[in-house]
Amino acid sequence: MCDLCMKHGAGGKWYLNSKHYSDKIAEQYNLRDFLLEQYKNFEQVSMRKVHGFNAVGLDYRLRMPVIGRIMKNIAGNMLHSTKPPSDPFKPEGHIGQVVPLEDAIAILEECAAEPIIEKNCMCRYMSRGIKEACCINFGVMSEIISKLPRFIPEKDKFHLTRKEAVDRFTAHNKKGYIGTIWFGPFPYINNLCSCENPECAGIRPRFDFGIMSIHKAEYVIQLDHNRCDDCRACIQKCPFKAIEINPLNKNVKVNLDKCYGCGVCRHVCPQDALYLCPRDTIPEVRGRY
Amino acid sequence: MTKKTKITIDYSRCGDGNGIDPRECCKCLQTCAPAVFLLHQTLGAEEPDPFDPKKWRVTPQWPSLCTLCMNCVKNCPVNAIEVKQ
Ligand code: SF4
Ligand code: SF4
Ligand code: SF4
Ligand code: SF4
Ligand code: SF4
Repeated sequence: MCDLCMKHGAGGKWYLNSKHYSDKIAEQYNLRDFLLEQYKNFEQVSMRKVHGFNAVGLDYRLRMPVIGRIMKNIAGNMLHSTKPPSDPFKPEGHIGQVVPLEDAIAILEECAAEPIIEKNCMCRYMSRGIKEACCINFGVMSEIISKLPRFIPEKDKFHLTRKEAVDRFTAHNKKGYIGTIWFGPFPYINNLCSCENPECAGIRPRFDFGIMSIHKAEYVIQLDHNRCDDCRACIQKCPFKAIEINPLNKNVKVNLDKCYGCGVCRHVCPQDALYLCPRDTIPEVRGRY
Repeated sequence: MTKKTKITIDYSRCGDGNGIDPRECCKCLQTCAPAVFLLHQTLGAEEPDPFDPKKWRVTPQWPSLCTLCMNCVKNCPVNAIEVKQ
C-alpha cells in the first residue's frame, strides 16, 4: 500500500474509501465555491505564480541540480497538502494515483457519488487544442461543471448512469488511455480521468521531471514468458515506455522500475501474457509508488 | 548541462498582441510530439497580471523536451514561431 492508503485508506485503498466521495466532505470544506472559482478560471490557473515561481521558464530551472531539487520538493509537498484547501489558484492537495480498469470499475460501481458526468478533458484542450470527453466527475464537482458550458461535450452524453460510466471508462482504457483517480482537493475525490502521456498535466511533472504529482498504481505488470511470442504489440501501447526489448536475447521484457501499473498493455496482447500483480508482492518494486 | 533550446512566439502574429486567435489554429500544439506548447488565457511571464478571459495565447512551456524537429515552425501559418538552440 502507498502512503495515501496508509493515511487515508481506513485499512484499504484510499480511493475505495467511500467517505472521500461524500457531498458532506465537500460541504464541510466549502468546496462548492472553491471548485467553481477553480474551474471558472481553469485555463489560466497553471499560468499563475505559485510560491513566487512562474510556470513559464520553470522547465529548465527544474533541471538544475540544487534549485531543481528544492523546487520539486516544494511542488511535491504542495500537491500532497492535507491542510484545508484555501486558494483555488494553487494546486494544493491535488494528488492522484494510476488505477487499472478493475479498480476504476469498483470506484464507479461502489464509491462514486451521483450525479455522474463526463466532461471535456482540459489537459488535452490546453496541450493539443482538441476537446474530448473523457474526464468522469462525481457529486458536487458534476454540479459545478454543469454551470460551465465549455466543459460540456457537444457530441457525447454529459450525464451518465453508473453503467454508462463503466462502459465509457472501459472504452477509453481499451484505447490505451491511463486511468487516474484524484483528490481534488484533499480530502475530496471527484475525478476519474482517462489520460494520455505527454498530454496530461498531472502525469508530466512526474514522468518528465520527477515531481511526485501522481503515484504509480497499487499494481505492477508481469509478463509470462511461456505465453509471450514476442509480437511486440505491447511495446507500442505502453504510455510510459516500460516495455523493452532485452538486448541479450531480443525477447520482450518489462522494466519494472518504469511500469506505472496502468494495465493498458494487457488490452493488446493476443497471447494473454500480461497480467497485473499487487505492487507489494513483487520485491523489486515493493513500496515504490 | 546541454545547450538550452529557446522557443519564441511572436504574439503580434498569433495571440494577444493583435495576432490571430490561436484557438482557431492549434497547429503547433498538434504537430509537436512531446507537447511542448500550452494553450491558455493571457497571463504572461513578463507582465504582473494581464489576465483577459477573452484573449488567448500559446506558451512554449516545456522547451527542454523539444527535439528540434521544426514541425511547429514549418506548420505555423503566420510564421510566428522561432526555435533556436
Ligand atoms: S487528468 Fe487526464 S483526463 Fe483529466 S483533464 Fe488531465 S489528461 Fe484529461
Ligand atoms: S507496462 Fe506497466 S506502465 Fe506500461 S502499459 Fe503495462 S501496466 Fe502500464
Ligand atoms: S503483446 Fe503479449 S505476446 Fe506480444 S510481445 Fe507483448 S506480451 Fe508478448
Ligand atoms: S521543434 Fe518540434 S519538438 Fe520542438 S517545439 Fe517545435 S514541434 Fe515541438
Ligand atoms: S501554429 Fe502558429 S498560428 Fe497556429 S496556434 Fe501555433 S503559433 Fe498560433
